[in-house]
Amino acid sequence: MSLFFISADAGAAMAWRPPADIYRTPQGWIVKLELAGVQQEDVNVVASGSELFISGVRRDRFVEEGWSHHSMEIAYSHFERVIELPCDLGRASISIESHEGLLLVRVLTSHEEEKR
Amino acid sequence: MNEQIESLPVLPIKNSVLFPGLLMPLTAGRPPSIAAIDAALASEDKELLIITQRDSSIESPTVSDLYTIGTKAVVKRMMRRQDGAVNLIVQGVERVVLIKIEQTEPYLVARVRLAPVPEETNTEIEAMRRAILELSARAIQLAQPNAPVEVTQMLAENEEPLQLTYLIGSVLGLPVEKEQGLLEAPSRLDALRLLHSYLLHELQVLELRNQINVQAQGEMERQQREYLLRQQLRAIQEELGETSPEQADAEMFRKQMDEAQLPHDVRKEAERELSRMEKLPQASPDYHVIRTYLEMILELPWAKSTEDNLDLAHARQVLDEDHFDLKEVKERILEHLGVLKLNPTANAPILCFVGPPGVGKTSLGQSIARSLGRKFERLSLGGMHDEAELRGHRRTYIGAMPGRIIQAMRRAESNNPVLMLDEVDKLGRDFRGDPAAALLEVLDPAQNHTFRDNYLDLPFNLSKAFFITTANTTDTIPSPLLDRMEMLRLSGYSAEEKMEIAHRYLIPRQLKESGLTDQQFILTDEALSHVISRYTREAGVRQLERAIGSLTRRVALRFAEGDTTPMIVRVEDLPEMLGPERFTFELARKQLPAGVATGLAWTETGGDVLYIEATLLPAGRGLTLTGHLGEVMQESAKAAQSFIWAHAEQMGIDPNVVRRSGVHIHVPAGAIPKDGPSAGITMATALASVYTDMPVRSDTAMTGEITLTGLVLPIGGIKEKALAARRAGVNRVILPRENQKDLRELPENVRAEMEFVFADRVEEVLTAAIPDLAPRLTMPKAA
Repeated sequence: MSLFFISADAGAAMAWRPPADIYRTPQGWIVKLELAGVQQEDVNVVASGSELFISGVRRDRFVEEGWSHHSMEIAYSHFERVIELPCDLGRASISIESHEGLLLVRVLTSHEEEKR
Repeated sequence: MNEQIESLPVLPIKNSVLFPGLLMPLTAGRPPSIAAIDAALASEDKELLIITQRDSSIESPTVSDLYTIGTKAVVKRMMRRQDGAVNLIVQGVERVVLIKIEQTEPYLVARVRLAPVPEETNTEIEAMRRAILELSARAIQLAQPNAPVEVTQMLAENEEPLQLTYLIGSVLGLPVEKEQGLLEAPSRLDALRLLHSYLLHELQVLELRNQINVQAQGEMERQQREYLLRQQLRAIQEELGETSPEQADAEMFRKQMDEAQLPHDVRKEAERELSRMEKLPQASPDYHVIRTYLEMILELPWAKSTEDNLDLAHARQVLDEDHFDLKEVKERILEHLGVLKLNPTANAPILCFVGPPGVGKTSLGQSIARSLGRKFERLSLGGMHDEAELRGHRRTYIGAMPGRIIQAMRRAESNNPVLMLDEVDKLGRDFRGDPAAALLEVLDPAQNHTFRDNYLDLPFNLSKAFFITTANTTDTIPSPLLDRMEMLRLSGYSAEEKMEIAHRYLIPRQLKESGLTDQQFILTDEALSHVISRYTREAGVRQLERAIGSLTRRVALRFAEGDTTPMIVRVEDLPEMLGPERFTFELARKQLPAGVATGLAWTETGGDVLYIEATLLPAGRGLTLTGHLGEVMQESAKAAQSFIWAHAEQMGIDPNVVRRSGVHIHVPAGAIPKDGPSAGITMATALASVYTDMPVRSDTAMTGEITLTGLVLPIGGIKEKALAARRAGVNRVILPRENQKDLRELPENVRAEMEFVFADRVEEVLTAAIPDLAPRLTMPKAA
């Protein structure tokens, strides 16, 4: 039966889910994702309603000729994460930056919007 | 078409199929597989082609050994083991079609085209999805009754029908061919339909499995429960100080054995069997065989006997009460009583009552038992043809039983009963043995104190038993058997005796049966005599009793209908009550023509009169005999003829007549077989009459054997024959002189009414029978 759970987990999407921390800031929100080894241009962030879609690919670029895997635990290829925030993100401005192996997604919202 | 084509390293797998979207743990050990995995991991995307082998036994598959549709997969986790094999977890990404193999060394590289199942939604797909959800919920319930509800819920949450199909398909444990079929399904609907059929089949198997499980479990539980209860019962019995059923049985037998006064060797055998029984479990078939055997031994009257009533006056009274006349038999019984009085250890005699049916042989046995104060047991031997019925079967046979003799002793419950063996003349015999031979041992006083039944296999003393056999005729009894028995003949009754018997026994008995009193029904003597002569023809009294019975019933019916005047039955009433007369007597023919003589015959039902007719055949030759005559009778006729021819001259017979013409003798009635030598003198008389043309006296009947020299020899059945003659109205009877003594058997009044002529030689017979011939005959001097 354990196979059921694994499969169901993966069945939702073929992508893997990076862990994330979410911070409330005076200007809006910061979503911190554990996405080491992912290049910024391989990440795609889209806002829709109150949801934030973060997807991308982790490619194993750090391999040289003559190396071979002895074991592999890091998930490569497609990842995907959907984060729901308690506000409409229609007018928010979104920017991403990479910092020491973490991917920071900054969401700036106007305060009037939020108060409504 | 926007076809995506790419090249991927190939990892062939055995016995399973990877579906897109699902994770699968794998172990790869084959060098080409490991090389393919290394190549995949070396790439940035870590992708490879997982494709299933058609035949799992092939170690280095080529393109023809692989299915053409596989799954592009991503390696999720990987770990190399000590032995060089690789464990990995892969996740299916998309269905692909193999176009061609681009490289085979050191690992396979395939060119593939992505072939996703076309997206579509319609109500039929939704319907199938729900049906599958329902079926899978049932399957889960059957396969894993304890599975958490979340599993089913989780399946239901899976909105994408293809993912659901793959998920369920991968966990059903289907054969590779079926899984591959699911992967190759061209559309969502096809995939759903396939899965639906697989699920249905799986469900049936599961249901059947469950049913079998439930049954097996039920059986196990029942047996276990029974065992447990038995153990508890045993424990409880032990606690209470009670014994088990087996022990109780053995105890009971031991107690009975002490009480039963068994002879020494019987006791020893019984003890041995008992100890054997104690070692057997109660469920064993042998246990019950021994048990029945022991019961049998204990029930037999080894030493139990009834005390004889030796009061002679009482015995005589009982015998006279029950039976009329039969003086000889009664005397014999009283003699034996007398002997027992003087010598209590005397062996009982073995009697054989011979006589026609209905003369009271069986009831005489009963009254003998009554007069002696002994138990009475009767067993019929008629038609018995198996020795084992008398002597039993050995205990090795299933369902073996002791023979009839031992069973009769058990029923009698004493070792000195009156044991009546009925119909000893009707014993059969065939390949299974001869029961008469077994009877030889039973009926021999020198042997029967150690009679050995096959079942019992122990000597039983039969010598105290009073054996009586009955028979209608002695002809069919083997002579060794006949030799062991004391013959007592019960001949038929005369009309007067029957009257007496009717008055004393039959009428009272039938009145009682019908519920009448002797005032309500009176049968006149004339009517009774008429019933005897015209409605019955028998030596015994059975038909008579039946006739009286139907008379009393008629009267009882009248009473029941309300007419309460006493009924006196007269001769005139008989035709109305009993129907027309059943027998018209062949009364004496008034005048006999020359050539006819009156003979007398003995039959099993008494005597009869028969007319022997002789006639000359002027142009014929020799002697013709008709009338169903036996061999002895035919020879007797020839002897008679020879005697007449030899003495023709003396009797004044024309020699030419003898020489030139044949003679025919006929004995009516032609359909009844006749045999025996006793018609010898009658035939001689008829021949003498026909040759001399002188008639025979019509009031004279005759019987006797003839010899060639003209001697008249004695014959049997005198009483019956004389009575038959009298019944027919023939009152003069010629008999062999040596039979004179037998006339004592006749009742006094009959003797007084009849005239008997005794003859030593044929000449005397002819003198008495043919008056006209008398002057020509002279007795030979030498006689």
